[in-house]
Amino acid sequence: MSIAGIKNHFTNWREWELNPIIIKELRQGVRSWTVTGMLLLFLVVLFITSLGFLITESFDVNTNMGLGGTMFSSFVVILAGASVFFIPLYTGVRVAAERQENNPDLLYVTTLSPTRIIFGKFLCSAYIALLFFSACMPFMAFTNLLRGVDLPTVFFILFFLFLAVCAANMVAIFLACLPMSRPFKFLFVIYGIFQSFGVIGSLVGISFTMMRSGVGAMMTGRDFWIGTATAVGIGLMLTGLFFVLSVALITPPSANRALPVRIYLTAIWLLGGLLGFCWVAQTGEAERMFAWTYPTFILMMFALLVNISNADQLSLRVRRIIPQSKLKRALAFVFFNGAAGGLVWVAAILAATFLLTREILFAFPRTVSLSDADNHWFATTTAYAFAYALTALFIQRKFLPRRPPKLAGLLAVLLAGAWAIAPSIVLFFLNQLSWKSVEGLQLGNIFNVVSLRNEDQRLYHLYFASGWLLLMILINAKWFMRQAKNFQPLVRVTAENSPPVLK
Amino acid sequence: MKVQVKNLRKEFGKTVAVDNISFSFDSGHVFGFVGPNGAGKTTTMRIISTVEEPTSGDVLLNGISICEEPELARRAVGYVPDTLPAHADITVHEYLDFYARAYGLRGKKRTQAIEAIEEFTNVTGIREKHLKALSKGMKQRVSLGRALVYDPDVLVLDEPAAGLDPRARVELRELLMLLAERKKAILISSHILTELTEICNGVVIIERGKILETGTIEDVLKKSSPRRTVAIRLVEGNNHQNPQLLKELLQTPFVENARVVVNEIHFELTGNESAACDILGELIAKKFKIIEFRQTKANLEDIFMNVTKGGVQ
Repeated sequence: MSIAGIKNHFTNWREWELNPIIIKELRQGVRSWTVTGMLLLFLVVLFITSLGFLITESFDVNTNMGLGGTMFSSFVVILAGASVFFIPLYTGVRVAAERQENNPDLLYVTTLSPTRIIFGKFLCSAYIALLFFSACMPFMAFTNLLRGVDLPTVFFILFFLFLAVCAANMVAIFLACLPMSRPFKFLFVIYGIFQSFGVIGSLVGISFTMMRSGVGAMMTGRDFWIGTATAVGIGLMLTGLFFVLSVALITPPSANRALPVRIYLTAIWLLGGLLGFCWVAQTGEAERMFAWTYPTFILMMFALLVNISNADQLSLRVRRIIPQSKLKRALAFVFFNGAAGGLVWVAAILAATFLLTREILFAFPRTVSLSDADNHWFATTTAYAFAYALTALFIQRKFLPRRPPKLAGLLAVLLAGAWAIAPSIVLFFLNQLSWKSVEGLQLGNIFNVVSLRNEDQRLYHLYFASGWLLLMILINAKWFMRQAKNFQPLVRVTAENSPPVLK
Repeated sequence: MKVQVKNLRKEFGKTVAVDNISFSFDSGHVFGFVGPNGAGKTTTMRIISTVEEPTSGDVLLNGISICEEPELARRAVGYVPDTLPAHADITVHEYLDFYARAYGLRGKKRTQAIEAIEEFTNVTGIREKHLKALSKGMKQRVSLGRALVYDPDVLVLDEPAAGLDPRARVELRELLMLLAERKKAILISSHILTELTEICNGVVIIERGKILETGTIEDVLKKSSPRRTVAIRLVEGNNHQNPQLLKELLQTPFVENARVVVNEIHFELTGNESAACDILGELIAKKFKIIEFRQTKANLEDIFMNVTKGGVQ
């Protein structure tokens, strides 16, 4: 948007309107018996809990100076239970229902952009969370009057909990957007319900720790704010990641879906690296960098599977925005749709992560000693991952070209999984399966790299994986060159008009 | 607004749902899209409405490609799917309001547009009713209202008359005629072919994803049955004259394939209308008591039955 456009936007603030999705969702939420019923139940539980505490306490002659704290703890459990369990479930089910094949909700073919749709869904879930938090607020404020908990703790815990609920809502939206059939989504719901118990437990645990320490007392310390900023920053980055992924999932396949995802991942990779480096510089402990290295590695493994599942043929929509300039085109190749560019992007991120981590580990003091073999795991597993991915890519492109390209990602997982399980199955039938055999050298088994104890054997893995990867690079080189060559701006050919039937 | 479907192809795995079809139509016209179940009608309509993406080929809406600029193209299309809206906890008015907002209508313009559409589709009386509580006919009206709320130039209606009672069907037909008068380009699929013959200017007959016949209704009818069929009925009680009449007709010029069909005599006229007049005059002069002498036109249903084989994919 130009400066004049931005100025015009703010000048005409009277014409601003809420995202239509929020209005629709809130209207439906208000009319829904599920939301109103849950809210009423929530209020009843809060009221009965308060009443229970006050009646019990009225029989006690001694003054309980911690009553407020005890009541607050109970309210936190109730609030966390209701909001982490119910709101993401409600949000997810609503999005999933609209994404069903047999219910072609035309919301997804309106002029609303996928970003606005997901943002609307997310904001609506945040509003519903706010509704539950507002309902709980008077009860929590009341606990402060009874003593045992300070106001900063109340507000901080509520803020922290609210962010966690928003993040859970975003994950629920992402899961609902996944292109899966209803039974699979149902399985995800069950998994999500079990996971939410874990999340509720952790949130309540953290809240109790904060209550015991007292946020008011900790607020003066610098470490508290650095810790809070880091936690909030990581939470926001993850929420943002699920947001970008959800948007990509509901965007039509012909659009340049990869671009925002790759840009976002690159941005959070850079920010995460910077944050990790700040922690290393602050504490002087080089191992803190691993908090960036490991998540990057895991994320890139997923990205690798998704990228090889990209189609080779670019749509007209993508081709018409390929830049003419060679430099810009090279950059676009890495960030636009397409498996070849995606592979380059993943390789670049992983190589940079490996080199930066290595440099920081050498430059800053470490609390534990690291051997060369410890450093090899990263290179070995990365080489294996690429080797499997390129093998699957070759099989799909060469032997199953009429099958959808997403088969390549599935094949890579199946190949790695099969090779990891096959030796154990053979050993099991030979009655020779033992922990020692699992720890023994199994070349080609990606998981064997982390279970090995012998450093020499880890090196064998590295050599084997590198050799295999090199072979696969050579085999796929022709395909890669073709992809790079075909990444050209659209040349329009005037098509002949089809004869009009009616005049 | 000119809609041009160019070499459209859609594959679902190994199944070719739409196989390289091309046709076009203009504003002010109602274009029928006919084919047996599984012929590829819904897929084509979904592609034109930008709900689905083609494997190859394109659809141009006044030159705007649905492949290259679907966001721009979808502003011009209103799609009424065969599945009706099934949203929970939302009223008719709120549903239309949402779509008006989603298509960028603001303030007074939106309010006026919704009111006009509610009136046009005759849903004003049920605007506060929940969508789920509506009958099929009413849902169909709401669906049409939703597609019209942002005043698109092209309307794509997939089986809009399915499941409607006779009154609702007549009303829908009148609505469509009115929309055509308002210069909308309408593509409509239906299995009720007699109705299509009445309201459509053009037709596409499709089977197994391929076009079998296309053109204006007159052209298609003429192409499929170039000869006129004439039916003759004698006054009741004079059916004993039928063999004699048949014999007479077989000796008359411009008459072919004369046969008895129930109480009537049908024959194919190879000549023009004047020849038909002469034949009638001759028969009356020969004292045949003719009460009915009519030309039977082949309708879309006959053509459909002739050209399609009922194959699905």
